[in-house]
Amino acid sequence: MVTVFRLTVRQLATRGRIVILGVLGLLPVCITWLMTSDSTAPSVAEYEAVVLSGMMAASIVPLIVLSIASVSLGHEVGDRTLANLVLTPLPRWKLVVAKVAASVVVAAPFVLGSAAWTSWLAFNHDATALVAVSAATAAALVMYASVFTWLGLAVSQAIGAGLLYIVLWEGLFSGFVSGIRFMSVRHYAAAIMHGLDPRRFADAPHVSLAIAASVAVVVVAFFGWRTTLRLSRMDVP
Amino acid sequence: MTADRPVIRVDGVSRWFGNVVAVSDVTFDVMPGITGILGPNGAGKTTLLRMMTGLAEVSSGRITMFGEPVRRNPELYRRVGVMSEHEAIYPYLTGREFVLAMARLRGVPDPNDATDRAIELVDLVKASSLRMGTYSRGMRQRMRLAATLVHDPEVLVLDEPLNGADPRQRYHFQALLRQLAARGRTILISSHILEEVEELASTVMLVINGKLAASGEFRAIRAALDHRPYHVRVVADDPRRLAAAIVQLESIDAVEMEGDGGLVVLSTHVRELQIELPRVAARVGTRLRRVEPLDDSLESVFGYLVEG
Repeated sequence: MVTVFRLTVRQLATRGRIVILGVLGLLPVCITWLMTSDSTAPSVAEYEAVVLSGMMAASIVPLIVLSIASVSLGHEVGDRTLANLVLTPLPRWKLVVAKVAASVVVAAPFVLGSAAWTSWLAFNHDATALVAVSAATAAALVMYASVFTWLGLAVSQAIGAGLLYIVLWEGLFSGFVSGIRFMSVRHYAAAIMHGLDPRRFADAPHVSLAIAASVAVVVVAFFGWRTTLRLSRMDVP
Repeated sequence: MTADRPVIRVDGVSRWFGNVVAVSDVTFDVMPGITGILGPNGAGKTTLLRMMTGLAEVSSGRITMFGEPVRRNPELYRRVGVMSEHEAIYPYLTGREFVLAMARLRGVPDPNDATDRAIELVDLVKASSLRMGTYSRGMRQRMRLAATLVHDPEVLVLDEPLNGADPRQRYHFQALLRQLAARGRTILISSHILEEVEELASTVMLVINGKLAASGEFRAIRAALDHRPYHVRVVADDPRRLAAAIVQLESIDAVEMEGDGGLVVLSTHVRELQIELPRVAARVGTRLRRVEPLDDSLESVFGYLVEG
């Protein structure tokens, strides 16, 4: 499993990808810095809705994770190297765990760095807020990694399908339709943030921290299982 | 596993993709030693090999290796080495890193030692510290073979392994496979080149249009091929005079004139024809411009065997 993890990290951490992800990760930090340095700075609620929920949880985090997780298995199908991994005695679930873990590790510096830096700037160096934002972002990161790893294996145009999901589901519908909210990663990330620091998203209705954390575990387990199943049943090129 | 029990058993296997039948009701056993799967491009060899190694699902039938199902049976890969047709490599890894990774993935007890041995076996020690992205096609094939052999598998499945290999590499590769076969390994090798399989395999499976056209000892199949009539096109300065002279030869069955100064010669004794044709041309004072077999492709060979 460690070998697959190492191979995948090397495969994913290309120079070009790191530069692009670095720019994406810096975007919320720059916007937060501009917002907080302006004399007409937005309220905390506005900031949470626009930057933390709208930008971080629904755009930057999923975009970064999509660009990494969807290719962790998807590219192996495209360049036919997947056979190298499946023609081994390694159980398929271990392969999937290694792939998701590698995606999380490669994406983490950009996603968590961006989230921590943003909250540090926005909440005046408040340690509780920093922990809450970072933990919620970490949960979102793992959930998205699990979903997008499956997507990369299940759909040939995974990036396109993932972008549609991010824009329409996480970005648009989950913000307006209350039923969909409970089916979006963004919603549970906000609930975890609120659970760890009740001052965050104080005005919005939330499920409890325990439920949000449980849902995160279920999402990761469900998509991990689906990916394993797909990997076992598919014809490997 | 006793010597008389097949290592791989393919039993009534078919595979179709929508309306296209890629493999149709194929049945055969593979015993220890070298077995060649021969067939033209698109005959269904790769699909068959992919099903035999568990990479692809069968539409109907059953494939077993050591009596176990090959599909969804990862433990089997401790005993099997597979080298696919595609150059599936990680260009950012050095050759040694690649082989070492494959050794670790297959649970080899001493992966470093096994890696060194496998690389030595394919004679690529010097290049092993270079990235595989910089390798020639032949070098990639050899390093992939090292990765296939690193866990010393009992069964080797090699899909068109000699693609891109130069004559020296080809010789080395064939010697290595013979050595492995002599040690009791079961080797299954596919190719679309008749001579390639002839040099290696004692037993062949001929696959055409997804069906097993013939199978058995290579010598028997080769003997059938030797009695097959060949069409040879001959272009000469004076085709009429040449035709009149060669039609009397015993090695010639028929001669047909072509409009553009060429002759089409039908012969069941091509080797004799090769010797006699230049002599006759010299005797009648005409120069041979071109001599080419018209039906030496594998498809025509298969066509002949299937019809026969």
